[in-house]
Amino acid sequence: MVKQIVVVLALVKWKSKGKHRFEKIFLISFVYFLEIHPLMENAPKLTELLKAGNEKAIRTVYEEHRNGFLLFAKRYSLGDDEVLDIYQDVIIALCENARKGKLDDLQSSVSTYLFSIGKFMIYHRLKKLGKQVAVNDFEQVEMEYELYDEEEQNSKLTLVRNYFSQLGEQCKKVLTLFYYEEKKLDEIQELLGYTNKDVLKSQKSRCLKQLKDLINK
Amino acid sequence: MDHEELIEKYFAKSLNADEKSMFDQLMQTNDAFREQVVYEKEVQKAITMNERQALKKKLQSFETKKPKRNYTVWYAAASFAVMLGIGFWIFSNDVDTNAVYEEYYQSYPNVVAPTVRGENSTDIKSEAFYSYDSGDYTKALTLFSKLYDTEKEDYSLFYKSLSLMELKRYDEALTSFEQFDLQKNNGFTPYVKWYKALTLVKLEQEEKALVLLQELANSTNPMQKMAKELVVELE
Repeated sequence: MVKQIVVVLALVKWKSKGKHRFEKIFLISFVYFLEIHPLMENAPKLTELLKAGNEKAIRTVYEEHRNGFLLFAKRYSLGDDEVLDIYQDVIIALCENARKGKLDDLQSSVSTYLFSIGKFMIYHRLKKLGKQVAVNDFEQVEMEYELYDEEEQNSKLTLVRNYFSQLGEQCKKVLTLFYYEEKKLDEIQELLGYTNKDVLKSQKSRCLKQLKDLINK
Repeated sequence: MDHEELIEKYFAKSLNADEKSMFDQLMQTNDAFREQVVYEKEVQKAITMNERQALKKKLQSFETKKPKRNYTVWYAAASFAVMLGIGFWIFSNDVDTNAVYEEYYQSYPNVVAPTVRGENSTDIKSEAFYSYDSGDYTKALTLFSKLYDTEKEDYSLFYKSLSLMELKRYDEALTSFEQFDLQKNNGFTPYVKWYKALTLVKLEQEEKALVLLQELANSTNPMQKMAKELVVELE
């Protein structure tokens, strides 16, 4: 509440006599810090924003831990580009698990969670690259996360991926909520405002069938 | 329960034990059922990969878009920096070492005890790291000190020292760092040397800091590059 008042006051001041450049600059920085800073501290709010796929929150998390992660990963024999690539996969996994609701009851801080995903990812990348891995370094490494290989060239999969993006918006929504966010039909019904579960069910089957027809065309 | 509902529950991860065995049974005996599950799994994989690819592109754009910021924000940042600089200049007479310290100091992440598995465990170690992660360094300090007193392990001494640094109690941090046997050379050693050197810089003991930094700069270790840069700056 106080925050809003201050922002409004700042804006009023801006309108009234914000002609001086320094003054403007000062106000911008002031508002900027008020707006951005609370995001970094507030763990519960942050996981909610990530769950909603808020881009500003994703960016904040991305930039906040980037240097720490790169510093941490220096001890493994991986190139700089490789490490950055891993870091991005870590953020992706974090966002994905947030959307799946796996962070709802997170007991640790987001940064701790992020680093544990990091260890998991580094471990798998080292193994994939055929590098030596000191096992005791990765004692606690294990998590429920499906690693798919982007390089996998499977013609069927490519077809499904392409045709999926050609489906109608409603189909994409329903299927994404069901298969990607792993939500139950009841939740989807509520989210998308279906009055009847059977309508949603048949919508889902239709979408699946439509996709299949496109593939087998 | 019909097949469709069974498959739904499978993807929502809500099969109970009976349903699970029914599901497995059908997978082995019923071709149409298996085919449907395989198809839906393929769809799941495709959607997941599409989502990940889209997010990856976005993250990559964060890297390239960095310099293209709005200039007003840069002016704001610059004016802030100038004011900060003036502040430091007025309130302290050792601008140099402070600036160097601020430039190079970065909180060291918790790399020892990620607490995802066994999230509910409340032993001192997890609690210490939790406090450290959430920025409660006073509590972290107490817990790490306690841990070090009981088990005498390097990690607890290291994070105890780091907590002291975060709390700006540099004299005590130095004392704490001095308890490390730097001849031992384990995974922590380069980081201990690095943070000890930064503490020395902060305490205006540049000569001692340089000795440590030279050691880091002249051997292969994770902090070698940073140490080289800092050596140049201090000399």
